[in-house]
Amino acid sequence: MPKEIPAYTPNADEIEVFQLAYQNRLPVLIKGPTGCGKTRFVEHMAARLGRPLYTVSCHDDLSASDLVGRHLIDSSGTYWNDGPLTQALRHGGICYLDEVVEARKDTTVVLHALSDDRRILPIDRTGEILAAPPEFMLVVSYNPGYQHLLKGLKPSTRQRFISLAFDFPSPALEAEIVVAETRIDLGRAKQLVMLAQALRRTADHDLEEAPGTRLIVDAAKLMVSGCRAQTACRVAIIECLSDDPEISRALMVVVAAIFAE
Amino acid sequence: MEEQVGLAWHRLVNRLALRRYPAAAVTLSSLTREAGLLYRALGGDDGIALQAGAASLHGAERSWLEKLAGSGRKADLAWVDPQALRLPPQIDAYPEARLNHDLYLWLAALCAQDPQPQAPWFNRNQAAARAIIQHFPGLAALYQRLVVAEIARRPDAARMDADGAKQERAIRAALLCPGSVTHLPSARHPPHPVLLWLRPAAPQLAAPMTEKPAPDPVSGASAPQTDAVRRQAERAESIEEPGGLLLFRPESIFSWSEYAKIQHETQENDDADLAQAADDLDVIALARDQRSIAKKLRMTLDLAAASGDDHVLAGTQLQPEWDYRSQSLKPDRCRINLLPHADAAPCALPAHLRRDQQRLQRQFSALLPLPQRLKAQADGSDLDLDAYIRHHGQPGAADARFYLDQRKRERDLACLLLADLSLSTEAWAGDGLRVIDVIRDSLFLFSEALSVTRDRFALYGFSSQQRSNVRFHTLKAFDQPYNDLVRGRINEISPAYYTRMGAAIRQATQILGRQNASERLLLLLTDGKPNDADHYEGRYGIEDTRKALIAARLVGLRPFCVTVDQQAHEYLPHIFGKDNFIIIHKPSHLPARLPLLYAQLTR
Repeated sequence: MPKEIPAYTPNADEIEVFQLAYQNRLPVLIKGPTGCGKTRFVEHMAARLGRPLYTVSCHDDLSASDLVGRHLIDSSGTYWNDGPLTQALRHGGICYLDEVVEARKDTTVVLHALSDDRRILPIDRTGEILAAPPEFMLVVSYNPGYQHLLKGLKPSTRQRFISLAFDFPSPALEAEIVVAETRIDLGRAKQLVMLAQALRRTADHDLEEAPGTRLIVDAAKLMVSGCRAQTACRVAIIECLSDDPEISRALMVVVAAIFAE
Repeated sequence: MEEQVGLAWHRLVNRLALRRYPAAAVTLSSLTREAGLLYRALGGDDGIALQAGAASLHGAERSWLEKLAGSGRKADLAWVDPQALRLPPQIDAYPEARLNHDLYLWLAALCAQDPQPQAPWFNRNQAAARAIIQHFPGLAALYQRLVVAEIARRPDAARMDADGAKQERAIRAALLCPGSVTHLPSARHPPHPVLLWLRPAAPQLAAPMTEKPAPDPVSGASAPQTDAVRRQAERAESIEEPGGLLLFRPESIFSWSEYAKIQHETQENDDADLAQAADDLDVIALARDQRSIAKKLRMTLDLAAASGDDHVLAGTQLQPEWDYRSQSLKPDRCRINLLPHADAAPCALPAHLRRDQQRLQRQFSALLPLPQRLKAQADGSDLDLDAYIRHHGQPGAADARFYLDQRKRERDLACLLLADLSLSTEAWAGDGLRVIDVIRDSLFLFSEALSVTRDRFALYGFSSQQRSNVRFHTLKAFDQPYNDLVRGRINEISPAYYTRMGAAIRQATQILGRQNASERLLLLLTDGKPNDADHYEGRYGIEDTRKALIAARLVGLRPFCVTVDQQAHEYLPHIFGKDNFIIIHKPSHLPARLPLLYAQLTR
């Protein structure tokens, strides 16, 4: 199944590290701010390694049985349904748990036996103990923000993983990414990156979260389709960052400083 | 009659001499948010506040009308110092409000983008302007509009002497094309102020003052006048020579003065006169023992923080302090003075709070522990479908526990309320109440509400008199019951001294950290920013408080700040984080709001 490999521009040596972790059957933890390319990186790596990818976006109601599987009922009675984690194990794929700190605490316990050298998944409801094939890989990600200090990962969980710290790409690289994703001209891509950097500087003070590369890629897409720069920035970036009209107005001053009408 | 003629003449020449457009005036308060955010976004330091700066003398040649009117000696310019970004309190230099508005944004950008801060004034501003024009097309367009207006505003070079005209032409060329002129020709007068550029020299850092014991700040419940403008000030030794030696030429006080000993301790003048005198003086020379004047007027003086003392404190209750200048945590910097409040007379809840108390008790009884659903029980009121399916899916499994049961859950919560009892709480909060009365009522109602939910809570208050005496009042410890004795202590709180917030928070963190609860809330109740009678003011205090709160979070506490300071959005996001504080706009609402806020926080 030769699928197209999703584009990914490496920031440093993360591709090599990921490959080495895969060869050594080590689980990987990716941490970094929203929209800096964590998910894209995992998609890229799965395609590159030729493994199926099972992505689970974690939320605060996600429990262990959502990952492992559960019994369901149909006309013929009850039957067992594999969860995404179990499926990834059976098919030798990569299981990616996005924003893992959001999930309920009992899910991390399931991961423990999988992420050390035992590499097993005990399914207590069916009594089955699944051993992970060599191709199976566990990847988790989370966003260690200032506001989420209380919601960090437990050290006992964190120490089982190879850790990759992601950050926003350097300005030149980020402009290249924006050009590659949207075919916008380099001049405007650089202006967008400059805007993103200016907004990131205000992140702790005025904004809850710094704008990611994804937001400026969205704005660039609108601009390529003929949207005015200030409008594109407002709808794709500013309004996504804040619901407070006063802050939005102040943020638009920064936009107007960079994009002349 | 004589007075009326004088007044009419004053108004007439002032109007003729005025090169301002009051109708198009834009005030700083109308765009604090925009200017502050632009400053930070363009690379400005996010730890400093945005404040109004005082006008500075420029010494340039004035028109004969201005000389006649005695006006036009000062210009409002912008600058950055280690404490704050200073912008003019109001701009009315240009005929269109749009231009005055744009000048604010330009100045904020200029302060943020200053590639050559050490270069001479003339070159530094050109370099900064050029950097902005190159990188920010939007601001470049704005600058072009401003330059046109600024050149139209500037005095005519044809009317100056030869040197002055040469100088003026150089400045105009530098404005039109920043970076093009490297040398400013000298002339008899300094050049006419350039509103688009930063102030030539920021206020100088002062030499450390010799320490004398600071007297107690003035007491007496007069309403301090608030005055947001930073005044130019310089430190001077208090001169204590006996005898009536005149230290200034009396005739010069209201016109031109570099040093004047304002001996206002007698308090003969009323406050309005003091404020007027402060506006008229160009530089306020301030001696150590007269600090209380600033306190009374509540004006902020442009004093650079004195370099700190280093003597070692002894004692058992010591707390560290963060020094942002050296980026280090200095151990044992503050001595906590635990005040037990043993002698308070027990009292009942004040009568005016009875109605609020009853309402709150009703509301809080709704917060009583909610019953929790327990899954997979052997018996219960409801069927647990998930457990039932599991039971059928695993025919071999023996357990038939597929019921849901309701069980009462205990709230596992500890809350420490830390109240600011500094002298600034003496100020009036409106409705005939002082801030301290509002804080007292808040403490009462908060306690009444919490005694309904049976959450563990403690009440402490703090004030400080420099780092050797951080006064920490115990109103109610965690293990004490809430009763008339505690009410008596709350009733007797009184404001004193200053606000050394960092040390008090560290002390509270230790107390709350010893509590064993799944959620621990540290509520800070205050009316202003951290400050003390030494170098603990401005940025130093803010950074120390921020560090103390980060440390509190690291031990698993949840800090939250409730403030009545309307200017708090300038500095609280930096200290507490964006969503961890609330500004109460009408202080008299605080007593009723606080318990409800607590309910939201602990839901």
